[in-house]
Order: sequence, then C-alpha cells, then structure tokens
Amino acid sequence: MSISLIVNGDQRMAHVGPMTSLAQVLREDFHLTGTKLVCGEGFCGSCMVLVNGKLTASCLLPVGAVQDCTVQTIESIAPNNEALAPIQQAMLDVDAVQCGMCFPGIVMALTALFERQMNVSEKDIRTALVGNICRCTGYDRIVQGALLANERRHNKGA
Amino acid sequence: MPRLYKPSSLQECLAALASDGDAAPLAGATWIMRASSRGEQARRTYVAVNGLKELTSVQVRDKSVSIGAAVTHEQLAAVLTDLPELQVLAQAAAHSANPAVRAVATIGGNLCAHSFHAADLVPALLSLDAEVVVARQTGTDQLSLGRFLQIRANLEPGTIVTNVIVPRRMALSAHARLPLRAAGDYPVAIISVCMSTDIGGVVTQARVAIGSVEQVARRWSELECVLVGCRLNPNMFARYADELRDSLNGRDGTEAPGWYRVKVVPTLVRRAIGQACKTVAT
Repeated sequence: MSISLIVNGDQRMAHVGPMTSLAQVLREDFHLTGTKLVCGEGFCGSCMVLVNGKLTASCLLPVGAVQDCTVQTIESIAPNNEALAPIQQAMLDVDAVQCGMCFPGIVMALTALFERQMNVSEKDIRTALVGNICRCTGYDRIVQGALLANERRHNKGA
Repeated sequence: MPRLYKPSSLQECLAALASDGDAAPLAGATWIMRASSRGEQARRTYVAVNGLKELTSVQVRDKSVSIGAAVTHEQLAAVLTDLPELQVLAQAAAHSANPAVRAVATIGGNLCAHSFHAADLVPALLSLDAEVVVARQTGTDQLSLGRFLQIRANLEPGTIVTNVIVPRRMALSAHARLPLRAAGDYPVAIISVCMSTDIGGVVTQARVAIGSVEQVARRWSELECVLVGCRLNPNMFARYADELRDSLNGRDGTEAPGWYRVKVVPTLVRRAIGQACKTVAT
C-alpha cells in the first residue's frame, strides 16, 4: 500500500502497511533517524513529532491515519545547515544535552509549546514536558534552557 | 497485514464492521498500537471512526451532555471547562497520560479498552452516572456505564460506542489520581467523587468511583452509604475510606502491588473530597 504524506515540506510516499507506526516509517523508510523509537508506549516522548502542527507520539500513530498530513520532525527545526533553532541553541548554551536520546522529542514538545503560547513560565515548561522522560539530566538544565530560549525570544521581539 | 478502512459515514462504518467478524473500530489508536506489547494479535481490519462527524462533537444540553465517542481527552477537557458540575470529568480528561496522548486518545477508546485497568475517564464517568450509546446496523441501545463495563469484552461484532451521555445534576465533583511520577504516567489508584449537599453542607447524595485499584473500575457503594448524611469533611471521609479498605481487592501490576493500591485510597479520598469542596456550581 502507498501512503502519501508531507514530511518536512517534501511530498513523500511510504510503501508499508497502514498500521505501521509513523515513527517506524520516518526512521526506516525516510531515514529521518532524529525521531527515536524507544518505549513504543507513548510515555517516553522520544518519538514526538508535529502532525498538522500538533504534538504527537509517532510510535502510537498508524501511518495510514496520517495520509496527506503534514509532518515536522526534528530535522526540520533548524533554519539551515549552519545554524541551530533557538531552542536547540539555548540547550547547547546551558549544556543541557547529554546522551541525546530524549532530546529530539523534548525539542519538538517545546517547539509546540512556543508555537501555541507567546510567553511561557517554568510551570508551563514542566507541564509541557510531562510526556518526555530524560534519564541523564534530571530536567533542571532542560528547563533552564527552555527559559533561556523564551527570554531570548522576547528580547529579540523587544 | 491489517487493513485500515476509512468510512465516510456512520452507516458505512457499521456496515464495514458487520461485514468482517475480525474488524475493530480505531480512533486515537493509542491502545491498539500497543497490542503486540500485550501479546495480542492484530485484527484483520481496522475501521477508522475519528473522521466521522457523528462521533466527534460534544453537545451541551440543559440536562445532559452528549459526548461523541471519538472526542479526544484534550477536546473534552477544553469543552468542560465552563461546566462546574462536570469538573470530575474535566480533571480526568486534562490529567490522563501526557499531552501527546491526550491529543489523540478518545473517550470511546478509554471505555472500550477492556484490558486497560488505569483508564481515567471510566471512574469519572461512573461517578457522574453516565450512560453509553452503542450502535449496530439494526439499531441503537443506551445502557448504564456499569452495565457496559460488564459486557464490553464480548460486544457483538459490528457494534460500536457512538456517544456517552452525562447528566448535569450534581454540584460538587473532583478526580484524584496517584501516578508514580508527578504526572505523565498511569495512575496507581484513582478516586472520582460526585456529591450533592444541603445548605448546611450535609451530603444528600454521594457517588464515589474507584479506578486502577481493581481489575475494572466500579462504584464504591460501601463508602457511598456511609457518606450520605455526613457533613463534608475530607479528613473524616478519608477515615471512613480507611475503615472500608477491606472491601477492595487490589490488583497486582508491574507499577505497584495490590496492597499498595489499596493503601493509598484513603489519601486519594481525602484529596478528592477536599478538591470537590472547592468546586462551586453555577
């Protein structure tokens, strides 16, 4: 079966069964391995992508259900090959990243938060990240990074 | 390889389900996509119901709210914000699982996943005395949620849940859950309460539902009987719950043993009652 979808702005075709998870298609068919497939239960958050702009656990989403939808993965977040997205840069600046397994999902969750809300508090950030598990950092630096990205966003707009 | 069929109407959906004895409805897919991790076989055909307009709306009427089976937790939480008497359901919808799951997981899926013991919406709906509408090609039935929970594992092929009907009548309600992390995972135990009181704060009607503790969520009738006639008091009600713990049969699970689930119940009763006391009905 052929399923068409728009991934990171490009029209793509997946030749798989419709109940194959979107995460598996992204990684194994489109070779977008930034999306991680870890728990397969929707609880770790490492597979998070945006589908039609909404944060989604791609391990639990049958690709047949997203036919003709727009999918954004971590690979589309940076503006070009030379620069990082502001959220990514802030994480780098506060040295929040360790093993990197959970980070694509965390960046996607924060991207979704920043897109729907102009000013975010620490509580908003922690609430937005309840579905993202990190076993390395203890979360505090991730929250610091998100707050820094939020601050820079406002300074830039001022 | 399983098929995925996308009907354009409820009639098409019912016909597709009736024509294949191994077909199952699919909405958010968050439970079905984990079938293999539970050692379950995939069905031959899945019929997508989340595009059907008949199943995706919430209708707020004077005496009840009708919720389409394919309404997501996220949508439900948003719609119920302004209905104080249904806060128990709004809280359950807003705090289950995590944001990405809530964005796609549906009320119908929560009710139909019979091997999912920790569903948040089920005890909340039990406390509200909700009813379930099921449809098949030959017609529809409306039955109590308690009855539906008894038969849901053996529904006749070709049957789907189309709506949940929630009465709007009680004033105070709340949902208390205990996940092992602060949020984002399955609760070890859930207490949903819904009560009416007289002007002196004495309970005239009480519905208490318990979830995740036993194999299937249920009303805790032993506690309800004790609470009627008492003045609202979270600590006192927690003591009553503690005295009635023997009436619960905790289930052992990977997240927690049965005895622990039962042990935390009085604390959740105190939290739920305390939260309900803050609810002001309009």
